[in-house]
Amino acid sequence: MPLIDKLFTYRPQYLNIVILLAFYLLISIPASAQKKFTVSGNVKDATTGEILIGATITLNKTSTSSNNYGFYSLTAPEGNYILTVTYVGYVPAVYTIALTENKVVDVGLSPKAELQEVVINAHARNNDNIVSPQMGVEKLDMSQINNVPVLLGERDILKTLSLLPGVKSASEGNTGFYVRGGASDQNLILLDEATVYNASHLFGFFSTFNSDAIKDVSLYKGGMPAQYGGRLSSVLDIKMDEGNNQNYVVQGGLGLISSRIKVEGPIVKDKGSFMISARRTYLDLFLKASSDSTVKGSQLYFYDINAKANYHFDDKNVLYLSGYFGKDVLGLKNTFGTNWGNSTGTLRFNHIFNSKLFSNTSLIYSNYNYDIQSYLPGNNFNAVSQITDLDFKEDLQYFVSNSHTIKFGVDALHHNLAPGSITADANSSFNDKTIERRYGLETAAYISDEWHATDKLSLLYGFRLSDMFLFGPGTFSTYDAAGNTITSNTYNSGQIVKSYFNLEPRFSASYSLTPEASLKASYNRNTQNIHIISNSTSSTPTDLYVMSSNNIKPEIADQFSTGYFRNFNDNMFEFSTEVYYKWLENQIDYKNGAQLILNQDVESQLVYGTGRAYGIEFFLKKKYGKFNGWLGYTLSRIERKFAAINNGDYYPATQDRTNDISAVGIYQFSKRWSFSSTFVYGTGNPVTYPNGKYEINSLTTFYYSQRNANREPANNRLDLGATLEGKPHKKYHSSWTFGIYNVYDHRNPYAITFRDSKTNPGTTEAVETSLFGRVPSVTWNFKF
Amino acid sequence: MKSIKLKYGYIVAAIIVLTTASCQKVINLKLNNAPSQIVIEANITDQEGPQYVTITKSVPFTATDNFPTVTGAVITLNDGVGRQLHFNEVHPGLYILYPFQGGVYGRTYTITVKIGDTTYTAQSTMPTVSVPLDSITDKPNVFGKSSLRTITVNYQDPPDIANQYLFVLFVNSVEAGTIFTNDDSFTNGRYVKEDLFQTDIDIHPGDTASVNMQCIDKNIYQYWYTLSQQQTDGPGGGVTPSNPPSNFNNNALGYFSAHTITGKSIIVY
Repeated sequence: MPLIDKLFTYRPQYLNIVILLAFYLLISIPASAQKKFTVSGNVKDATTGEILIGATITLNKTSTSSNNYGFYSLTAPEGNYILTVTYVGYVPAVYTIALTENKVVDVGLSPKAELQEVVINAHARNNDNIVSPQMGVEKLDMSQINNVPVLLGERDILKTLSLLPGVKSASEGNTGFYVRGGASDQNLILLDEATVYNASHLFGFFSTFNSDAIKDVSLYKGGMPAQYGGRLSSVLDIKMDEGNNQNYVVQGGLGLISSRIKVEGPIVKDKGSFMISARRTYLDLFLKASSDSTVKGSQLYFYDINAKANYHFDDKNVLYLSGYFGKDVLGLKNTFGTNWGNSTGTLRFNHIFNSKLFSNTSLIYSNYNYDIQSYLPGNNFNAVSQITDLDFKEDLQYFVSNSHTIKFGVDALHHNLAPGSITADANSSFNDKTIERRYGLETAAYISDEWHATDKLSLLYGFRLSDMFLFGPGTFSTYDAAGNTITSNTYNSGQIVKSYFNLEPRFSASYSLTPEASLKASYNRNTQNIHIISNSTSSTPTDLYVMSSNNIKPEIADQFSTGYFRNFNDNMFEFSTEVYYKWLENQIDYKNGAQLILNQDVESQLVYGTGRAYGIEFFLKKKYGKFNGWLGYTLSRIERKFAAINNGDYYPATQDRTNDISAVGIYQFSKRWSFSSTFVYGTGNPVTYPNGKYEINSLTTFYYSQRNANREPANNRLDLGATLEGKPHKKYHSSWTFGIYNVYDHRNPYAITFRDSKTNPGTTEAVETSLFGRVPSVTWNFKF
Repeated sequence: MKSIKLKYGYIVAAIIVLTTASCQKVINLKLNNAPSQIVIEANITDQEGPQYVTITKSVPFTATDNFPTVTGAVITLNDGVGRQLHFNEVHPGLYILYPFQGGVYGRTYTITVKIGDTTYTAQSTMPTVSVPLDSITDKPNVFGKSSLRTITVNYQDPPDIANQYLFVLFVNSVEAGTIFTNDDSFTNGRYVKEDLFQTDIDIHPGDTASVNMQCIDKNIYQYWYTLSQQQTDGPGGGVTPSNPPSNFNNNALGYFSAHTITGKSIIVY
């Protein structure tokens, strides 16, 4: 059956279910005799026009938050009300409203004139974290990220995220991260809703996210909302700045290894704005200074550009266009050159149908590619690989009443994978070779309802239906355990090779014990149909992506978590503890000695297993005041099980880190000086050490018996930072950021290797490599 | 194509060296000791002359490199056409088959090694064609110090069949501690110029470099390839280390390889 027909037989099935469920939810809401009206609108920064996400809107005693697009909606019986809108760092707005009909109240908040209080959470001083049924979510405020000291002064949202409980960085100085036992390819990373495949520059030392251009960061590590899907362990939802629609602003920074600049301003005042932000590293300048001619002629840099524009046609229709383009370039003169990068584009249309129904329609493009060129005489070649995604999403938010908010939508995501092709000239040692492209379509429909059932009990429940279709053209093989081809079938363009259907229930609930304490629980299932074949700890540009297929089944994760949430001292302190247990199915690893590079039969090299992860997280944060920060502790165990490894027993996964502690403190010393510090401690990663040695071909060879049976020494590190704000000036503003990474110069293990001793022939030794000693940094920032 | 990975390794190393002072130090680790394992190295070549088997045992990591020899083994080679050939122990742990007419192309050999009550067997197929080493050449190092030299092997890969190769490099009669192995999945039918990248031995002009080229079967290629991957765990962490897949049964380490052999030698220019 042609693809189109197939899809038409599939789609209506679940669309029906969604519609039915929506209908059921609607009719189950008790009808009230009293007349009710709705007040809705958008919340913005009055000076820049930037929308404010998560502002608190209160109508007498009922309250809600503005959504990701700044929209809110509240419904109440006919009468007179006080509407207040608050957001940290802004002057609250208060309105008196006679609710005799549906009303639109657009709110513009002005920033407080005094020095902005540094806060962890962008949200107002509220108890959202207690009453919301959502759990396992972390929101980072950009001002926080800008104050936390980091390696080489390159502030970075991914590195700051790894300071939160349940989140671990892949290795020192690396932006790869693991959430609650998931692998790094099990995180869904969205930049303005577009999937970013390789979120790192320079092998993971820097992330692709330039914090100048970022407005809001949310990380879901559990209780995944139904609107997200496609990855097992987390969703990192990043929103770019909209741009100032009142004035032109230029800001930037000069750092040790990179510089950046951002320009924003109105397209049409009050109606539309743009933002463009760029940065480039200049590591290559250091290379030029080298006396070695090979090093001197090498290239090593990355750059990225974020751009966004919006236009408000009226108060009901807004169009957004955003894009990201980044590239890493690396090469040795006359030897080889390589470059890789992501580009994404998002076209979004917000439409407010009425005071209760909000719609967001997105058309998304995402591309990741790499290109390797060898210039070696007689060995020249050019290898390219890429992934291209096209995605259509329709998300609707229906504010049924103050106790029910329904979110529902559909998603169709098309993948086009070109695993790789090589071209070479006639004189080369290499043949031309092209691995067949693979085409896939992931479709999904979801519905969820946030229901404030009673004053104390809130529920967030729903489900996501996800489909995966792998289709031709191409030749698709099946393999035996030894990797030999059993069958090989050729499919025509559009012919379905394999399809998978998964139902993913999502459920979370909170029960408020007091206004400052609650218990929460959640269960959710996630599935994943696009996988990285890698067991390397650092991200490499040539990471190989495969889709679920006739050989590879969708990965499935089930997570149950429960937690206790408690605020103290008028919500100044937040404390939470969460326990989780996660089952993982259809996990993928590859065989020892696997051939992964440009192998048409790469799926013959894979093995499949299961996993489990469980742990407890403690989190205490002080949200306000001159001194603020947080303390996180995680105790966890992460295990994998493959038939061919360790006799089929559970063994600790590479990302298993039993104890993990992080502490972050920020102190506003004076109007001009602020200081910050972070401390991290983590159990060493599981590694495989030799259990003996023998001789092969007169070379010392190591004998291994158990995978990951050993531990590297524990990691710990203290970083310090200081920010000096320039003297206030009418026209411009500047600041200096100073940092010291690894203050007490503790050498944390990066790799431990084994070799024949050079100093003591006839013996072998273990060698520990560490990357970073004490590293000072300084950055100058400006804005005018 | 394996060299691509190597190149990244170098570049990552370059970044690290340039931006910070990375540091290496020898550390003491508490390592678990597995029971001593039997290690069998058995080779049958296409050359007339003695064929060798060595049997040793593994030792703890912290021990010195004195690998105990295993004596008194009974070793039999089945030549695939019904003949049983016997090895004699000429030195503790060293067994020789002599005289031997040279292995026959395309024939599958089975070796049986009886040590005490345990019998270990393995099979290996002599490739159907001996691909000759055409020449070896040298050129300035591409990575690292350009005053040093890199050896290149040149050979014509036959187009019709899948070939696997192992190269053993000697510099002034000292064997380089790097395993060079390759198949023709990217070079089938080409005239191949393959650089033997290594850092164990500095090669200077005037040194004598020799290379033995072996055509090996698929299982043995997998053995050497897996072993070579163990060696390249540079920055960023290589693959999870594992034992290379021995073609011997009963958990013996080592290999049995029936292979062709050709060699060349040059004075580095």
